Amino acid sequence: MNGKAIGSSLYAIVTKQKAFIAILVMLIGMLFSHTNFYSAYNLLDMLNSTSILLILAFGVTMTVVAGGCDLSIGGILVVSGIIAIKLLDVMPMGLAILIAVLFGAVVGFVNGFLVVHQRTEPFIITLGMGLLLTGVAQQLTDAHPVPAKNPAFMMIGNGDILGVPNLVLIMAVCFGLCFWLMRYTQFGRNLYAIGGDYEVALYSGINVVRTKWIAFVLCGTSAALAGVLLSSKLNTGSSIYGEMTALVVNCGVVVGGTSFAGGIGGIPQSALGLLVFGMLDNVMNMLCITSYYQVMLKGIVIVAIIWLDCFTQKRKREFV
Amino acid sequence: MKTEGSEVILSINNVSKSFPGVKALDEVSIDVQRGTVHGIVGENGAGKSTLMKILSGVYQKDSGTVVFDGKQIEHTTPYQSMQSGLAIIYQELNLVNTMSVGENIFLGRFREMKGMKGTHAKARELLDSIACKVSTTKLVSELSVSEKQMVEIAKALSFKSKLIIMDEPSSSLTSEEMCQLVKIINQLKEQGISIIYISHKLDEIFEFCDIVSVMRDGHVIDTKEKSAFTRQELITKMVGRTIENEYPPRPLCVGDTLMEVHSINTHKLHDLSFTLNKGEILGLMGLVGAGRTEIVRALFGADKVRGHRVLIEGKPTVIRNPKDAKDAGFGFIPEDRKLQGLILPFSVESNISMASIRKFSRLGFLRKSLEKDIGARQVKALAVKTPSTKTAVRNLSGGNQQKCIVGRWMETSPRIFIMDEPTKGIDVGAKYEIYNLMKHIVEHGGAIILISSELPEVLNMSNRVLTIFEGRITGEFDPQKASVNEIMGAALGIVEGCV
Ligand SMILES: Nc1ncnc2c1ncn2[C@@H]1O[C@H](COP(=O)(O)OP(=O)(O)OP(=O)(O)O)[C@@H](O)[C@H]1O
Ligand SMILES: [Mg+2]
Repeated sequence: MNGKAIGSSLYAIVTKQKAFIAILVMLIGMLFSHTNFYSAYNLLDMLNSTSILLILAFGVTMTVVAGGCDLSIGGILVVSGIIAIKLLDVMPMGLAILIAVLFGAVVGFVNGFLVVHQRTEPFIITLGMGLLLTGVAQQLTDAHPVPAKNPAFMMIGNGDILGVPNLVLIMAVCFGLCFWLMRYTQFGRNLYAIGGDYEVALYSGINVVRTKWIAFVLCGTSAALAGVLLSSKLNTGSSIYGEMTALVVNCGVVVGGTSFAGGIGGIPQSALGLLVFGMLDNVMNMLCITSYYQVMLKGIVIVAIIWLDCFTQKRKREFV
Repeated sequence: MKTEGSEVILSINNVSKSFPGVKALDEVSIDVQRGTVHGIVGENGAGKSTLMKILSGVYQKDSGTVVFDGKQIEHTTPYQSMQSGLAIIYQELNLVNTMSVGENIFLGRFREMKGMKGTHAKARELLDSIACKVSTTKLVSELSVSEKQMVEIAKALSFKSKLIIMDEPSSSLTSEEMCQLVKIINQLKEQGISIIYISHKLDEIFEFCDIVSVMRDGHVIDTKEKSAFTRQELITKMVGRTIENEYPPRPLCVGDTLMEVHSINTHKLHDLSFTLNKGEILGLMGLVGAGRTEIVRALFGADKVRGHRVLIEGKPTVIRNPKDAKDAGFGFIPEDRKLQGLILPFSVESNISMASIRKFSRLGFLRKSLEKDIGARQVKALAVKTPSTKTAVRNLSGGNQQKCIVGRWMETSPRIFIMDEPTKGIDVGAKYEIYNLMKHIVEHGGAIILISSELPEVLNMSNRVLTIFEGRITGEFDPQKASVNEIMGAALGIVEGCV
């Protein structure tokens, strides 16, 4: 590749990926701060604490690319975590985790039935499902945190292999799997087609209902997996963790460049989008910004990225 | 493949279909022979597309039987029909805008193509076979309408089909692309593949169809060998009355200058200037991609173009956006009715009254009864076939949708009416009505800029023709005096000309 080609592909990345710019800005900015942001420890820690959000985002991305969305992931997250911890007392760990994860798949299946099969509005249906599940979680725990008694369970979320935290490793595996699924399989390509134009996909002989339904099941499954990991990391299950999660994750997915209209985006984009949030948290903590300002800054970053995105797209359209 | 003269590949027997308020098909029977091109013609809303969608499994028939390739079929999904060897190019373009050309051609067949590499390689082969140069990695949203059409054709060819249905495939093709399509159709025929060809362009029907069926109001009126029909007879059968001429006499009332346009410059157009006179129909001719659509979009303020000057009746007028243009007396029929023309889920009357909201609102409140009147008036004037003015435009046949856009602007009585493919998908009878409306506009002091891929339309309707080649005006002709060859030469950029 010659210089010009590299230049234009760089330009493409920059104009297409506002999230990438945001990350770059933070990375550069932190060069001039006198913190230990650039220590291996901190960077790994940042990745570690974003891992669970990332796993959630991978699932959500599939539904969003297919033209849906999933706001029930917060509910699934907490309920599956509680289920895992409660079941630990009565059965082997592997089985408890499996059941908790399957629970997520079932919720996803129900979501899929309502949204895809019955053609309801995903935003509202999954929001309601999330509320329902939060209620279930409170019922299950009487709104108190439930501690886990099994140290082996705790090690899943807190251990590491050769210095790399388990959570990061699991996240990386999920990333690889989902990336492959979306990019290199018929299922993934069909999701893009369905999100791009539902009717065209239907007329082209794609089994639209089944494909989109599976996306919801996978999303529920990944949310449940994230829930199990979260309760393992904190060694407790509680009904309060998931409150903002669904919004943050769906928002991160869009910030990354996956369009809510469907058909555009992907796993790497969503990863970037959520990394913006993870890194922002980390950076703001490092710089000792007070929590009120933290929330405000997050809001500003979200609005700025989405606005810039629409702005350049508009410019591009006019140029054509 | 050896073909027998009279082997029936598809037999449609007494098929009926009703939608709420319309009986779209009433006991329709048609037989299609193997290895023939079977033309189907008929008025807008005659039921042609509905019949095809029943064959492909998009709609379910109410009664009747369909036998395809020796087997009775009950397709309930498009997937099943494709599997059985029946491919269809739908009237409304059916491509996913957010995906690449290659992926669109093999939509839903990623595994079969062994991934992205295979997809693009196979797509390239197919596109090459129909002499289409579009890159397979380009996004469909970046293609022109006619390029999309070629991609659709490639997509239909990609199935190993025994029967290919083409529902108005040529409505936005240029003449060269049309030649290409004819070649393809003849190739397919030689391979023993049957084709059902639906079109409102009778020239095409007479050029390469073997057998022609005429439909009207959900009935098949007649099926005969092409040679047994005369053009007049075909038209009469289609519309149920005789039409002496396909074009009304050219309006001859050209007056003073109405609009002057000075130096439009974009990265595609180069220093374009022209004038438009009162009472004139100005035809723009050129190849697809020559910049005709860009010119009118710039004029209407649909694309942001700066630096050019527009004088209307001598007064400098600034048009920054379509609202300014409307206020200055412009009307605009865009090229792509689905994308830029209609709000599909809205009712017929809302779509028609859209540009004249001021007419039926008082102090910001809408007066529904007036809106209804506007809708009803235009539906009547243009003979839009619809169960009621409240019906969603989506449920109308393609040609009737087009009439709704024409009606919308007719209601504003525009002074300068820009028409980009105004008769796309409109039947012979209704075309005549639209030509009459065009005449009416210019006879009342208005002027029309006409773009059409139908050469006879431009030549018969315009008072003056400008040829555009690669963003430049290459000639100005009086179509009554100049020969077609001269005009085409200039449009193809071969010779410069002035008459
Ligand atoms: N989904 C639908 N719901 C209700 N009515 C419909 C629907 N689709 C078609 N129709 C009606 O059925 C009739 C036949 O329509 P169809 O699209 O088959 O006509 P066509 O012959 O293809 O016309 P054109 O030449 O304009 O494309 C029309 O009156 C139309 O309004
Ligand atoms: Mg039709």
